[in-house]
Amino acid sequence: MSGVQSPFSAMLSALARHRGVTGSMVVGEGDGLVVDSNLRVGVRGDAVAALAASLYRKVRRSSHAAGFGGVTFLQLEAELGRLCVAGRGRLVLVAVAERDVNVGLLRAEMRTALEGLA
Amino acid sequence: MSGGSLAAVERWVEQPLRRFVEDARLRRTLLLHPSGQVVAQQGFARSVDVMSACALAAGIRASAGELGRMLDGRPFGELFHAGDGRQLYLADVATPRGPYVLLAVFDAESSLGLVRLYFAELAEHLAAAAPAPVAEPQVLPSGFEQELNRNLAVLFGRA
Repeated sequence: MSGVQSPFSAMLSALARHRGVTGSMVVGEGDGLVVDSNLRVGVRGDAVAALAASLYRKVRRSSHAAGFGGVTFLQLEAELGRLCVAGRGRLVLVAVAERDVNVGLLRAEMRTALEGLA
Repeated sequence: MSGGSLAAVERWVEQPLRRFVEDARLRRTLLLHPSGQVVAQQGFARSVDVMSACALAAGIRASAGELGRMLDGRPFGELFHAGDGRQLYLADVATPRGPYVLLAVFDAESSLGLVRLYFAELAEHLAAAAPAPVAEPQVLPSGFEQELNRNLAVLFGRA
């Protein structure tokens, strides 16, 4: 976690306290750079941020192309964990979680947290 | 998808650079010596454009290096410029053969985060692939122009 408090610090701390969440980040959708983060040791924040933002951009464009409108929530389920992404404006909120995380609860918390994004 | 095929004067840079271009989805790429001598290019159609871009990149690197020394006590490691449609990333790559300079041009298909992410891998791969240095490199070799023309001819299939 960065030493400087940002407008997102409290929101990221709340997400990080969620059981099974190993990291949460606010990331620029366009540049894939970390704006603020709360990560456990071992989570490669910069790499996850860049790739998650890229994934989110592509999914958003696919959704528009398919006529589905905007993306509200994106979840990637992998063998060893989950990546949850939700966006608002030019920012995306990324949560890195263990596989057995309560996705429903996390999704609800991320949707609430999105209100705090610019 | 990245634009244009890749051509290299020094063969050992080809594979790492090709992978970087694909992974980071670059539109144009240059790898050059700090003197401005081109080593590899991707996405450029004319040799005169490569020559100009290399000269400008070397100049920007030199200026930014001095500015970095003045402001931070050491040269800046990387530079980023954002245009309307295209963005530019300029960074040093340290190898056993000495420093090389990478110029990467990308658009909305990629992002600064992705380019930086894959650049870190490229730097590792180039450092591992570089052959041992043969001699102390000169800042500006005496046969610079001749070497430049030869490299451009190799890159554009006129050698």
